[in-house]
Amino acid sequence: MSERISKNDLRQRAGEWIAAGKAVAGPVQVKPGTVLYAPLAAADALLLDGWIRPSNSIKEFIFPRHEALYGYRIDGAGITLDDLPAEIPEQIIVGAHPCDASALPILDKLFNWDSRDDFFNRRREATTVITIACTAHDEQCFCTSVGLSPAAERGSDALLVDSGDGNYEVRILSEKGAALFGAAVSGAAVDSIAPDGSALSPAPAAGAPERRFDPAAVAEFAKEHFEDPFWREHALACVGCGACAYTCPVCHCFDIVDEGNPRGGVRARNWDACQFALFTLHSSGHNPRPAQGARQRQRIYHKFFMYPEKFGETLCTGCGNCARNCPVGLGVLPLVSEICHAESV
Amino acid sequence: MQNPYKPDLMEIIGVRQHTADVKSVRLRFKDAERAKEFDFRVGQFGIFSAFGWGESTFNICSSSTWRDHIEFCFRKVGRVTDALWEAGEGDTLGFRGPYGNGYPMDEWRGKDLIFLGGGIAMPPIRCAIWYALENRADYGEITIVYGARTVGDLVYRDELEQWAGHPRVRVVQCVDPGGETPDWKGEIGFVPTVFERAQVAAGNAVALVIGPPIMIKNTIPVLERLGAKMSDVYTSLENRMKCGIGKCGRCNAGPAYVCKEGPVFTFENLRSMPMDY
Repeated sequence: MSERISKNDLRQRAGEWIAAGKAVAGPVQVKPGTVLYAPLAAADALLLDGWIRPSNSIKEFIFPRHEALYGYRIDGAGITLDDLPAEIPEQIIVGAHPCDASALPILDKLFNWDSRDDFFNRRREATTVITIACTAHDEQCFCTSVGLSPAAERGSDALLVDSGDGNYEVRILSEKGAALFGAAVSGAAVDSIAPDGSALSPAPAAGAPERRFDPAAVAEFAKEHFEDPFWREHALACVGCGACAYTCPVCHCFDIVDEGNPRGGVRARNWDACQFALFTLHSSGHNPRPAQGARQRQRIYHKFFMYPEKFGETLCTGCGNCARNCPVGLGVLPLVSEICHAESV
Repeated sequence: MQNPYKPDLMEIIGVRQHTADVKSVRLRFKDAERAKEFDFRVGQFGIFSAFGWGESTFNICSSSTWRDHIEFCFRKVGRVTDALWEAGEGDTLGFRGPYGNGYPMDEWRGKDLIFLGGGIAMPPIRCAIWYALENRADYGEITIVYGARTVGDLVYRDELEQWAGHPRVRVVQCVDPGGETPDWKGEIGFVPTVFERAQVAAGNAVALVIGPPIMIKNTIPVLERLGAKMSDVYTSLENRMKCGIGKCGRCNAGPAYVCKEGPVFTFENLRSMPMDY
């Protein structure tokens, strides 16, 4: 038996969580036409309907754009390193999309293979993700092409499915979700998707985006056409701004820099992006990816070939943010469509 | 909470200037316990830092048989290396590592060793040379061919002389045409041609080739002509890195994280990988 909650009650609950001192974030209209996942000062700002998806992703609440790794103090020739306060407040993300929530278990693998990255893990553990199944999609949505769906449960602690009468059906998927809604776990989140799509959750009435491509065919193309003029030709318009990576739920590349003054500061990690020329520039001046074509190739190669080879996961949730935020009409789906066109797959 | 990004603090106990823009630094762990337990394989690298300026990746160019210190060597080319250039004895640097796979010195036992280096590539070769010399009975003939653009760009010149004095070690030094000085006694020419002229038997040899891409490109055919197997020819890649532990996403050459699966690869490996380095 599943729980139900009305939209009004959900908003009221969010207000109670905020009042209880929890950090709550969700979709907010920050200016006309722009919706972002942002911290909620009051539940009124929580946007539940009437938009496709925020321009950013929830990764920034777990893998922040800027994160101090430790502090350093300089006193003459002496250096003191300081662990920084590690108290991570419990946070709730309400109104995540399945293409955001499903990014988290994909990133778990990267941040925990070989050595553990507890900066990621501690925020992940402190975060409860309440996902709302999508009832609408646009031409950039392609979750069904990467093994997900508008109601995919993966990575969510609770999934709310709009039943069309002002209510959500509440599927509790973890103990964290159960604790928030005071209900029992109704089933484990589907954590692996069969290649034939058999484990997909049913799509809500509005329908799912049609399947546009086969990720395995894209992987094959990226691997077999590494030196192909395709990349140069299709990256001509790329301005190397990195918006694709910054708004992607799973892009995770980072830089490590010192920020401070002559007496001390912090060593911090900041988001970085493979579309920047400096990303791979050697100090000798040699650059293995000297032009934008090689950098666009890297993005597709990493997502569809390298990451699956290493971690058994496609590094893409089909959210479409890269294309929606690209100033020149590139992004995963536009490029992959060209690959499919080139290969007739 | 474990913090894999937090470095060890090390004290500079020696600095040597090799050329107008290359120095090497000798470091000792400030924490005596850490010094005692620290171990690495030659060919591995560290991430060294000047606090307030940032981190840079360098090979640990001392031998792993030297227990009381480590060394690294750098060219002054940017923000972090400018700060390292200013650092002196008694100053504190950060060190993370050792990272990467290193050279399979055990597998190389019983083989002749050919070391081919160009310019600032001597430090990552030097650690293997010293290791082999300190385990001399394990290895056959050792040939070292090292070149730089000019006499003034050669690093570790005193050690090259020292190595040449060892039994069954042949050292050939060269500079590019025009880079010689009136008193230059070495060869004039590029590493691949000087190496070919040296007529070294490569049939039972392992070769370690590190240098600028053009040197590597022209040296490999020479090795092939001399009968070296590409599974016995090694290099160390230099892809830019930040984390060193397979997270930050920038050092991959094709499907391989250079920081984890490398930096040491055979040319047999490299030929199956795309040109992404």
